[in-house]
Formats: sequence, C-alpha cells, structure tokens
Amino acid sequence: MKVTFKIWRQENAKTKGDFKSYEVYDLTKDMSFLEALDHLNELLVERDEKTIAFEYDCREGICGQCCLFINGRAHGPHSNMTTCQLHMRSFKDGETIVVEPWRATAFPVIKDLVIDRSSLDRIIEQGGYINAKTGTAPEANAILISKSIADKAMDAAACIGCGACVATCKNSSAALFTSAKINHLNSLPQGHQEASTRVLKMARQMELEGFGSCTFTGACEVECPEHISIINIAEMNVRRLKAKWFE
Amino acid sequence: MFFKKSIIALTGLFLCIFLIVHLSANCILLLPKDIARDLYNSYSTTLRESLFIKIIAYVLYLSILLHVVYALLITLRNRKAKSQHYSINNFRENSSWASQNMGLLGVIILLFILVHLANFWARIKLGIGENIGLDANGHVNVYEVTYGLFQNIYFVMFYTVLMIPLGLHLNHGLKSAFMTLGFYHKKGLRILAKTSLIYATIMTVGFGIIPFILFFK
Ligand code: HEM
Ligand code: FES
Repeated sequence: MKVTFKIWRQENAKTKGDFKSYEVYDLTKDMSFLEALDHLNELLVERDEKTIAFEYDCREGICGQCCLFINGRAHGPHSNMTTCQLHMRSFKDGETIVVEPWRATAFPVIKDLVIDRSSLDRIIEQGGYINAKTGTAPEANAILISKSIADKAMDAAACIGCGACVATCKNSSAALFTSAKINHLNSLPQGHQEASTRVLKMARQMELEGFGSCTFTGACEVECPEHISIINIAEMNVRRLKAKWFE
Repeated sequence: MFFKKSIIALTGLFLCIFLIVHLSANCILLLPKDIARDLYNSYSTTLRESLFIKIIAYVLYLSILLHVVYALLITLRNRKAKSQHYSINNFRENSSWASQNMGLLGVIILLFILVHLANFWARIKLGIGENIGLDANGHVNVYEVTYGLFQNIYFVMFYTVLMIPLGLHLNHGLKSAFMTLGFYHKKGLRILAKTSLIYATIMTVGFGIIPFILFFK
C-alpha cells in the first residue's frame, strides 16, 4: 500500500519545526505503524537524508515510550491503544497520515517526534513510592487486602506513564497520570503512612511543572492504553481536599 | 489552581440551584393573564422587600463575579499549558464539543446575563428607561415589563436561542463540578450524568419556551 506521511521535523528544542511530507509506496497492511516508520527511515538513509527521530522500546504495548499524535488522535485512530499496537491496516491506501509529537508546555520537543517527559518523573519523585524498606517479596498473604481494593489498586497501577492523557487534554493536564499514581499507593496499606503528604506533594508538583487543570472533558480515559478511568481524578480531588483541610 | 477550580465548581453549583428557583418562579408567567399579573407582581415585591433575598442577591452577584473571574484565570492558564495546537485534532472522537468549549459557552452566557440585567434589573431596580406603573394591588408591575419585552420577536428569539449554550454549559458543568469537588462513586456518577442531562434539558426548554408562550399570549 501507498501512504503519504506528513511528519513534524524539528532539529531541537530551540529551533522551529515544520511538517515535511514523505511518500512511501511499498508498505503492507500487516506492518505495524512503527515498522512503517522504520521503513521510511531506511529509505531516508538510502537517500542520505536525516532519519526521523521517534521513540519506542518494548513494541508490545507495555512500556509507554511510543508516543505519537497520529491523524488528530493520541496513539492514532483507535481508542485505548499504544502506537506500537497500531497497524497499517487501520489506514486507507493512498491516505495522508499526519504525525506530530505530544503537545504540552511540560513536554518540550527534543527532536522531531521525541519529547521530554521528565516532568512526569519529577511528579513521581514527590511521592510516587513508599519509603519503608520492604526487603524481598513477602509471603503473598502476609498483609490481607480485600479483593475490591486490590483490584482498584491494580487498575490504577496499570498506568505506563505514556503521557497520552496529557497529549490529548486540551489543558495538557496530567491529572489522570498523577491520580493513578496517587490512588494506586494510597489505597493500599503500604502506602497509608505517607498518604496525605503524597497527595499534596505530587499534586503540587503537577501544577509546578506547568500542566493545566482538569476540566473533565474525558478525552484522557478514551486515549489511555491502560483504560485508567477518569473517576481516579475525582478521587484524587477528594483525597487532596481531605489532606489539605482535615489532616 | 485547584482552589480556583473548586471555587468555579462551588459558585457554579450555587448558580445551578438559583436557576431552579428562577425557572419555578417564571412558570407563574404561564398562568392566565390576570392571575399571572397579580401573583408575579406580589411575588416580585415580596422578594424585593425581603432581607434574606437581599443577602442571597449579593451572594448571587458575588458568585457570578467569582465564577467568571476564576474561569477566565483558569482558562488562560490552561491555554498556556498547551505549547502549540495540533494541526489536526479530532477531539470529537474522544470528548463532547461542550466540554471542550466551556469558556466560549461561558462568554455567550455572560453576554446573555448582561442583556438580561439591562432588560429587567436596570429597569426595575435602577429605574432606567420608561416609567413602570403599579398594578391594581399597588405592586410594581414587573409582569408588564416582562410581557412587554416579549412582544418583540427579536427579544423572544434572543432569549430562546441563548438557552442552548446555557444548556450545553450546564450539562457538562454539573457533572464536572461534582467531580472537581471529589465525588467519585462509580454508580453515582452514572446517575449524575443522566441527572445533568435532564437538568440541562429542563432549564433550556423551560427558560426557552416561556418567552414564546408570552409572545403568543
Ligand atoms: C447561569 C450561569 C452559570 C452557571 C449556572 C454555570 C455553571 C457552571 C458549572 C457548574 C461549572 C462546572 C465547574 C467545574 O467544572 O468544576 C462551570 C464551569 C465553567 N464556567 Fe460556568 N456557569 C455559569 C456562567 C458562566 C459564565 C458567565 C462564564 C464565563 C464568562 C462561565 C465560565 C465557565 C468556565 C470557563 C467553566 C469551565 C471551567 C472548566 O473548564 O472546568 N460560566 N460553570
Ligand atoms: S513501544 Fe512500548 S508501549 Fe509502545
């Protein structure tokens, strides 16, 4: 199949970027989207042009590195999916595919489609962990946790930190990411001791990094590859109010 | 930012309650002409003379002011958080148009509120414009002001059409306000979404249809 890639090219954070079009003819429907980009890069190497910088690691939907904004959607046309799980069969023959980096003030462009997401790491540094020394893995039933709470914590822990929630949000809010991290730890006994400082510090860092505030458009939960629910944000809000006024 | 957002939610909810009271009172206008005039004018006089309502009125003005100012601040700050817009963004595939345009809807509602205040508050409270007579019971004839306004088809259309952006703002706003304030019960949120839709529909249709009925009365 033939497609035209319209791809954002930018030398570094300081220079201005622009779109460049590339026609690629010999793709197949069962190539993954990243393989199609690999192929395009091979062509560029042959033509002695600069290759397109884009990120990936696992290519199996678990690391969250493959952040691309494709045809007006985070991670492409499907909901709840990473870019590496997207295949060329999702596009029409002859289609023009527009690829942009995530857009957020807190995610500056490093080069082409690669962005700097260390702002998310700095949120984690404010309390996305527990301080207690836990040693080696304990006996599975040493700490009893009810099924409903364990499920809830696991659902929140599924967040892979890809940043699709920030990318798709009109306010570039990191509320879905931050709330998932907070609720994961705060609902478990291990996270209890530091529950209120965690929520206050992580939420504060989220604002310091220049992410916007949540207005519940709900776009984030549609784009989240891990199906993290927007209800987490409401729960973070109530934890935040409680920590601030009652503790 | 979180504090500001909570204020938007609290003031928004207060305004939502106000709208219920306001619409209920306006339903008086739908009664037969003579009964409507007497009831509406005496209701309006009672309100104007009550200290409690005076306090509520100030809370109302303050709420609108805070809601608008903080909404403006938050919207500006949120815009700054997006370094650059996408060249294409199919946001309609992951969210509702209204939820993406609360600021625009808010500005339209603000324009409506200003015209609305000029039509009623300025005339009745400030005495600007044509003199308003008294009715048979000696009450200021607010009914006549209302009825008179809606003999003009342009005002009827203005009041009716602008209830649509209000409805869109309310449908998203009501749900959003509860979540901002930390309501996270899963089933409760599903009920809330339906309640918001029903509430917004009643407000839009209710406020929107009354001018029409008065026009044809
Ligand atoms: C009858 C009048 C109004 C009512 C009942 C109302 C109600 C609400 C409610 C309940 C919210 C949700 C708060 C939240 O998301 O937590 C909201 C949000 C908002 N309102 Fe209003 N509002 C009114 C008028 C206005 C006006 C006049 C403006 C601006 C000029 C405005 C601008 C906004 C904005 C920008 C938001 C969104 C903040 C966000 O994106 O979350 N509203 N409103
Ligand atoms: S490359 Fe790891 S999730 Fe896509």
